[in-house]
Amino acid sequence: MSMHQEGSKPPREAAPGKRWIEVPKIVNGIDSTEWVEVDMESDAPTWGDRASLRVLNRDLRRVDGPEKVTGQARYPHDVRLPGMVWTRILCAPFPVCKAVVDLDAARKVPGVVDARELREGGQVTFLGQAVAAVSAETPEAAEDGLRALKPRYEQQGFAVTREQALADDAPKVNKDGNVGRERKNGNLDEVEAALAQCRWVAKGTYSVPVQHHASLETHGVVVDFRGGKEATIHASTQGTFTIADEAARELGLSAGSVKVEVPYMGGGFGAKFGLDVPGTIACRIAKDLSRPVHLFLTRKDEFLLAGNRSGAVQDLQLGADESGQLQALSAKVDRLGGRGDGSFAQQPYVYHVPKRFFHARSVFTHTDASRAFRAPGHPQASFGIESILDELAYQMGKDPLELRLANLPEKGRADWARQLERCAREIGWYQHPHRTAPGKPTEPVMTGIGFAVSVWGGGGGKECVVEVRISRDASLAVLCGTQDLGTGTRTYMAGIVAEVFDRPLRSVSTQIGSSTLGRANASGGSTTTASLAPAVKVAAENAKRALLETLAQADGTAARDWALAGGRVIAPEKGQGGPNSMSFEEACLKLPAAGISASGEWAASLAGNGVHGAQAAKVEVDLRTGGVRVVKMVGVQDCGLPLNRKALASQLQGGMIQALSYALFEERVIEPDLGVMLNANFEDYKIAGSREMPEFVALIDDDDTRQQVIGMAEPAIIPGHSAIANAVHNACGVRVRELPLTPDKILNGLALARGLAANKEAGK
Amino acid sequence: MKSFEYLQPTTLEEALAALPTSRDPKERERVRLIAGGQDLLTEMKEHLAEPDLVVDLKRIEGLDKIRVQSDGSLVIGATCTLAALEEHAHVREHFAVLSRAAGSVGSTQIRSVASVGGNLCQRPRCWYYRSEQIPCIKKGGAECFAYSGLNKYNAILGGGPSYIVHPSDLAPALVALGAEITLRSATQQRILPLERFFTLPSEGRVQQENDLGPGEMVVELKVPSLPAGAGTWRSDYFKVRERGSYDFALAALALALLVDDGTIRGARLCLGAVAPIPWRADKAEALLVGRKVDDEACRLAGEAALAGARPLEHNGYKLDLTRGLISKALRQLASS
Repeated sequence: MSMHQEGSKPPREAAPGKRWIEVPKIVNGIDSTEWVEVDMESDAPTWGDRASLRVLNRDLRRVDGPEKVTGQARYPHDVRLPGMVWTRILCAPFPVCKAVVDLDAARKVPGVVDARELREGGQVTFLGQAVAAVSAETPEAAEDGLRALKPRYEQQGFAVTREQALADDAPKVNKDGNVGRERKNGNLDEVEAALAQCRWVAKGTYSVPVQHHASLETHGVVVDFRGGKEATIHASTQGTFTIADEAARELGLSAGSVKVEVPYMGGGFGAKFGLDVPGTIACRIAKDLSRPVHLFLTRKDEFLLAGNRSGAVQDLQLGADESGQLQALSAKVDRLGGRGDGSFAQQPYVYHVPKRFFHARSVFTHTDASRAFRAPGHPQASFGIESILDELAYQMGKDPLELRLANLPEKGRADWARQLERCAREIGWYQHPHRTAPGKPTEPVMTGIGFAVSVWGGGGGKECVVEVRISRDASLAVLCGTQDLGTGTRTYMAGIVAEVFDRPLRSVSTQIGSSTLGRANASGGSTTTASLAPAVKVAAENAKRALLETLAQADGTAARDWALAGGRVIAPEKGQGGPNSMSFEEACLKLPAAGISASGEWAASLAGNGVHGAQAAKVEVDLRTGGVRVVKMVGVQDCGLPLNRKALASQLQGGMIQALSYALFEERVIEPDLGVMLNANFEDYKIAGSREMPEFVALIDDDDTRQQVIGMAEPAIIPGHSAIANAVHNACGVRVRELPLTPDKILNGLALARGLAANKEAGK
Repeated sequence: MKSFEYLQPTTLEEALAALPTSRDPKERERVRLIAGGQDLLTEMKEHLAEPDLVVDLKRIEGLDKIRVQSDGSLVIGATCTLAALEEHAHVREHFAVLSRAAGSVGSTQIRSVASVGGNLCQRPRCWYYRSEQIPCIKKGGAECFAYSGLNKYNAILGGGPSYIVHPSDLAPALVALGAEITLRSATQQRILPLERFFTLPSEGRVQQENDLGPGEMVVELKVPSLPAGAGTWRSDYFKVRERGSYDFALAALALALLVDDGTIRGARLCLGAVAPIPWRADKAEALLVGRKVDDEACRLAGEAALAGARPLEHNGYKLDLTRGLISKALRQLASS
């Protein structure tokens, strides 16, 4: 995970001329960090003064925008190959059962070429598990074949909710039972004693539901294997280089003979690493049929077996002294990651509490395993701590912003304080009428404001090999096998090269998304940019040096006397009045026919680690209908050196949108008695749409002057929902401790408050 | 979805001739009518409907027309799109509630193809009904799983033995306006008040939400002008949904008021999404007449409209919601 691990230290003293740096390490979307020893670079490249940058740190339009919006971009799902079969899989609609299917009936359907069972004896161990697969000449025939299986399910006992899983006689999800992966730190006795001493204590149980990635392109692959010794996998993946090994194993080939193509992919948010279930099935079928196979999950299947963000239930107690200094926190957390572990950052999240007890455990259910999802574990932790902080603040009659400012940790305090105060100014907090207590429901529509913060790593590592080519026609190309999740990878790659060569952005073409190009890391933990951008920069500098050396050599002069400036090549002066500069185009004509190229790898000096963010939300709550409308969101995010300001603002805004949707709508609903998922579609699994969009103010924190590139795509999603829940509380006094913030909960909260008030009145 | 034959008749007679006249529900389900397909296709994709023959009504000339009669009343053809209804100038001016209800359905894309007839005849959205695996009472099973299950979206009024809510937005608006529906079969034509077209699950045929008989289809809707009186009629459609961009209602209200100098002289109230049928609140209508819109009137109207309500475990909030909606709507319309 990418939070600064307190107490993490390099394994030993650095060797002479070396230093240790901590870099993120992500395996299949699971974050951790490791220490690596790097050279103390004396002549390491630098990004240059921000003021001198001509292309970077500005608003760049996406270089691949036109292809994407005109439909020219070919996504893996769009791949059609001669002789290709279409495969559909049958996912179990019940959690634990024995599935009996009629393969012969499926095989008799015209067009069906293959039908197979995927589970030994048809035993299903979790909701959505793939039971059978049918392949056919057309997608329609594949579906008809799937229906012809006429599955019968002999149902067995299951646990799909936390309560069911924790019951004494609960059916076991794992051999060891339904609880595991405990993580504990701090001393509960000490914390309880400290809480008893606190002047102010807030208590509450805070829950977040299971959220789905809901990427527009579902999980899947097209396996191009027609017998023989080679194969190409067209994959919708976050890791071009996470596929070949597994695919080769399934196809019986060597990894080197399996190519992977990901020129575009339709979103992943952390759920798309490795060959995965559809890829594995597709490879097996392709191997048996010696035909290309197209297998993408349907939307319903995607909801059932393509992962999710784990839910969480947190029992928190937070205490403060008279002055509002936090003293003690007790946190008992259940992670709800289905048959997976789930993820949860830690408590206290960000804020400083001297005495703390944290106990987290996984409660397993018969549903698919959660996966990494944009800032794994952080939004859950954020919701708990930010909610209870506001509750504590109002109990004390204190401004929740001030309580935050007074309890930030030492490391990063100035950053968060600056960002929170900027959010407060932008959102209008200082003019807001009720800052130390929630609004009294005097008007039919009440306005409220809330805040929350985030932390993330976002560093990079020595992962990518980038090539930069210069052609005789003066065009530049930058190449790397890396994938673009939609964040704008191509654009900043081209931007960095354009900056180094002082050339227009349009003169740089990009090639990415192929395992035939230089290796790259998978996109997890917001590590792509901090790993890739330095390698692009180094490759571009190397290519520039190679260009000047080539020109110098041909000229018989010393390369050190040559330079690139203002888009022109400056040559050493020769004799009297000889030309001492030429256009870039003229210079490139002097290159060999094949042009020249150079490669580059990561340089530690170009990347940083550790980002901070704060967000604020302003909402209107309609007390008559329970409707919550978010009217404005402000996000302030630091990220070291911004490469493309437009893309960064877009990421920040996208994070706020996804958090808004999590706050107000998103929730996986599984019928507790029947075990069936009731909202495995885009109608009932509600995601915010255009009418839910508030005014967004997405601000890059330019007070962060680090001349290092750091990833920030994930932290953008962390605080928004917490800020919205706090804003609702601030608006009308209803504290919803269980997301999403739907009208039923608001109205029930208001009714409860009226009831309490009436009782109080009656008791007088 | 299952493969099917596709028929594109150009006359009503041809379409009606294709409809089975059998009383056997299985036989009737073999043929389904399609206009915009916005409900039927979702049913077919989930295999709730598996017709052998789909009869497309869009080539039948004139069936999509809105006609304004000399007395100002409307005749709306069954295949008229919701977008056309929403945007029709006469409808906007004189039947605002209808235009607004049409405009509240789904999304722009959906409204541009969805039809008036299809909207009135659409099947319930209850997630138990919509899941193929769940053998609910609407699909011939023995039980309404929503009754003791996850029922936050279900009925608080008129429920039992099924607790669906009627999903149509047009229905409350048309019922409030006193519309009549014309049904045709190959052999006969029936005209009945729209209010009577919709049937409660307790009235017998629990697998059907309306009185459509074997071989019958909806042909048109007749919408009379609101009766003249002192003052002017104002009408509007108020819809509360979780997601404003595209969602079915948690509760909705079609409201028309005849207001003269601040006093209500006539009122039409019909609730949506709280009962298995559009729920006409005639008691509330009666007690509003002669009153000014004030706290008392709002409270009384809410109480009268919700008389007999029996919320389930998770939908008690709909009582507060409906009361709040009525109050908000009355004030908004009276002061507009």
